[in-house]
Amino acid sequence: MAALQLHGTERMPHLARATTRILVIDDDVCVSTAIQAILARHQYHTALASRAHAGIYAFQASQFDVVMIDLFMPGMNGLDTISRIRSKSAVPIIAMSGFRLRNSLDPDQDFLGMAILRGATISLRKPFSPAQLVAAIDRSLGLASSTESTMQ
Amino acid sequence: MTRKENRADYPSHLKQVDRGGQQAGELEVDRLSLERTRAANEVGSAIAHQLNGPLTALRLYIGEIRQNSGRFRETAETQDSMQQMVEAAFQETERLCAMMRLIADTFEEPLYPETAAALGRDVINWWSRSNSTEGNVHAAGVASFALLTPREREVLSYVSQGCSNKQGAIRMQIGPRTFESHRARVMRKLGAKNAADLVRMALCEKVVTL
Repeated sequence: MAALQLHGTERMPHLARATTRILVIDDDVCVSTAIQAILARHQYHTALASRAHAGIYAFQASQFDVVMIDLFMPGMNGLDTISRIRSKSAVPIIAMSGFRLRNSLDPDQDFLGMAILRGATISLRKPFSPAQLVAAIDRSLGLASSTESTMQ
Repeated sequence: MTRKENRADYPSHLKQVDRGGQQAGELEVDRLSLERTRAANEVGSAIAHQLNGPLTALRLYIGEIRQNSGRFRETAETQDSMQQMVEAAFQETERLCAMMRLIADTFEEPLYPETAAALGRDVINWWSRSNSTEGNVHAAGVASFALLTPREREVLSYVSQGCSNKQGAIRMQIGPRTFESHRARVMRKLGAKNAADLVRMALCEKVVTL
């Protein structure tokens, strides 16, 4: 499927980042392409999926170190996608959404909070800056290794 | 689940209201105003939702370009003006992003995440469709908004905010009959066939001038 395109740069193999693979699941290809462009400049490998099902398929078919998931997608939504991936793997998940709250009158209905409850590692509110993006990736990798070490 | 169903067949809802609009009573106007409020919220939230993607992409690109703008220098002169423009583009993008945050906080996201994106597109499609099929009528409507007196504009804004004749009259501190006659004149000036038409025109005007 065209939804899955593998892309990467091998410019600086001495960096740990060069072997880090990130899966971006977002129905807005403009957003995932921008994320890919930024991450490529920071020597990260990225794969893009424009549908939740394509993303889950890609996740099962290949190895990824971080998964970024948009919460609003047609078909399966991001929250369910997080649950599905979390049920199979401890991979760090970054949840992305423009809307933090479901309802401005009910602060308990927090989408990004719900994403964390479903197992997302970090939440990232759109629109985010390149620095926030890279920091989120780095943090999720750090968090993942620290949770791994505490689990051992 | 009933709210979901309501939202899902929203466009056909409006059509229904249009047909029944001939004998527009108070109840009808109340119902239409409610529809209007909901429609404005839906359209607003859909637009906000659609805006978020391009804005995210823009912020990423501009941020990265700014970070590296020192690198593509040629002469000191072009570098200066380039950097100024990059900085300006960055500031404008940040301004837009701040607005987007406000909008995202103001509008409620559609209730059901799994249908939110699809619904948003539906509303957008419905909106552009209804604008293109009635393009001329709509354009004429927008032009004739200029004919309204300040008083009539006030009446129209109360109607489009969801006020009944009584509520509007109380807010404007005039009699309900006076309010009603203002409203009738607004309808005549705008060429609204019925109350439904009026509310829809107010909605379009509001959206157009948003």
